[in-house]
Amino acid sequence: MRLAFVVQRYGLDIAGGAEYHCRLVAEHLARHAEVEVLTTCAADYITWANHYPEGLETLGGLPVRRFKVKRPRDPQRFSDWSDRVLRRVAPRRGSAGLPPPVPGQADEELAWLEEEGPFSPRLVQHVLKSRERFDWFVFFSYRYYTTFHGLSAVADKSLLVPTAEDDGVYRLSIFPPFFRKPRGIVWNSPEEKAMIEAVAGNQDVPGDVVGVGSRLPEGADGAGFRARHGLTGPFGLYVGRIDENKGCRQLFDFFRRYRKETGSQLKLVLIGKAVIPVPEDPAIVHLGFQPDQEKWDALDACDLLFMPSRYESLSMVTLEAWWAGRPVLANARCEVLRGQCRRGRAGLYYMSYDEFAEALALLEQRPALRQALGRNGRRYFDENYAWPVVERKYLDLLARLERGAA
Amino acid sequence: MSFEIRSDQVDVEAIMAGIRRRIEEKRRGLYTDEEVREIAEHRLDAVLDAHEWNADFAAEFRARAGRWNYQFHPETLYRSSRGAVGQALESVRRLLKPVQKLFWNPNPMIAALSRQSDLNQYYVHLLTALAGEVTKLNLELVDLKNRHLQLKGQLELLQRREKTLEDMVVYREEPQGGGSGEPGA
Repeated sequence: MRLAFVVQRYGLDIAGGAEYHCRLVAEHLARHAEVEVLTTCAADYITWANHYPEGLETLGGLPVRRFKVKRPRDPQRFSDWSDRVLRRVAPRRGSAGLPPPVPGQADEELAWLEEEGPFSPRLVQHVLKSRERFDWFVFFSYRYYTTFHGLSAVADKSLLVPTAEDDGVYRLSIFPPFFRKPRGIVWNSPEEKAMIEAVAGNQDVPGDVVGVGSRLPEGADGAGFRARHGLTGPFGLYVGRIDENKGCRQLFDFFRRYRKETGSQLKLVLIGKAVIPVPEDPAIVHLGFQPDQEKWDALDACDLLFMPSRYESLSMVTLEAWWAGRPVLANARCEVLRGQCRRGRAGLYYMSYDEFAEALALLEQRPALRQALGRNGRRYFDENYAWPVVERKYLDLLARLERGAA
Repeated sequence: MSFEIRSDQVDVEAIMAGIRRRIEEKRRGLYTDEEVREIAEHRLDAVLDAHEWNADFAAEFRARAGRWNYQFHPETLYRSSRGAVGQALESVRRLLKPVQKLFWNPNPMIAALSRQSDLNQYYVHLLTALAGEVTKLNLELVDLKNRHLQLKGQLELLQRREKTLEDMVVYREEPQGGGSGEPGA
């Protein structure tokens, strides 16, 4: 079987998001199939500026074919277009469905999609030209130019991994018909599936809820992590970009208020690049970007993981915390995280400060509860996100699609 | 809070239900700052919905003002969002800038719009803060009115009880020299 993975950017230095998800799946399916990655020369997801040389190279043992981005994204122009286009589909209180389309809306949305990028018509042309070379094209992230036009070019041979978040973009009028095009869909969670099916009515497109595994460490040294960073007491961990959109500002507010009101000695340790300022507070320790092994050591050392983001399609770091046997305190406004905590019986969640404080107090004061949630998390990971399980689900779905095509 | 944790049989939903019950008990009719904020935002919606305003406007505005407010720079008037054609158009407009300045001066307009943009942001902030404060005061007023009624009721009850007790009072003489030793002591 020959598989082409199509993704907006690809590199060994891209540590998160759909691109990392794609790389892990591609590398693992390469054990069962002949895999090639088709992507752009971009490294930066804000501008999509060409960074890598165009052409074929080998990364992580896989052939990666890159195509130039014809026009990098102008952030100001993209912001103007987003204002114009996305405002129309922003959910309003009291209205569950999609707003009625207005004349010219689809054209404007397609123009927005060009600005969204990465605008690489050469990649799309290559996908079309090489349709006979591959049995299946696996497209990652529905919202990008390369996925939308690439998948449309080879729809009858396509598998889509939407990695959709509840940010309203999927409600644009161009997307519901798009979600009915692929031969199969690999969902990250039941919540993502329900969300897209509600607007696209694509229940008859075959698919499966799969998610992704993780690159697991040989071992983890929590004590060493504590010693290296001078951490003595209990601490909660946050891993990821420290950004307003990831819910970090609210986490800082809630955490500081919790400490003030309860006199708790819990610390908050942050791993990741800071996009917003981190409060100057001795209880908040920012370690910056850390190597992968340091992240695993931190997960081993922490008492719990905070996951304050409202927009998550899966949250790999939540799954990694569960593999490490640590409970999670998640933002309940993200349906995926809430669903994962319930299904895995491995985390608590909050809608408001009061719930945050009560749940955190429980987790802080009840080691038995932390351990029980952590054990559940590990079991949930092993049953659903171990690589043999993920690989088998992909292969079964592809086999099912092959049988359907025959 | 009493959560029984039996090995791995943790029921997350039961724990969360317990947490919510506990919060309800703690509140006992009092509103948290967050609830006050939410109620205040509902009040704003009542005004804004009439003009088809995005219901999440206030929250999004505070988070990403740049997305909602117009920013006027000296170049804004000459920009285009039509891709490659737009870039050419922008260049032509820039070239003709000196010519059009012979007819009119756009600078005061740019300055005024830029100032207006700042004012817009300030007004929304002010309106949100005011709505929050008014809501808080309103809720406090309702609470005080309720307490007043409650206290008034209690006072009336005490007065009636006092009167009844006064009517029932029977003056008795204390028993004279009657030691009441324990029998058989």
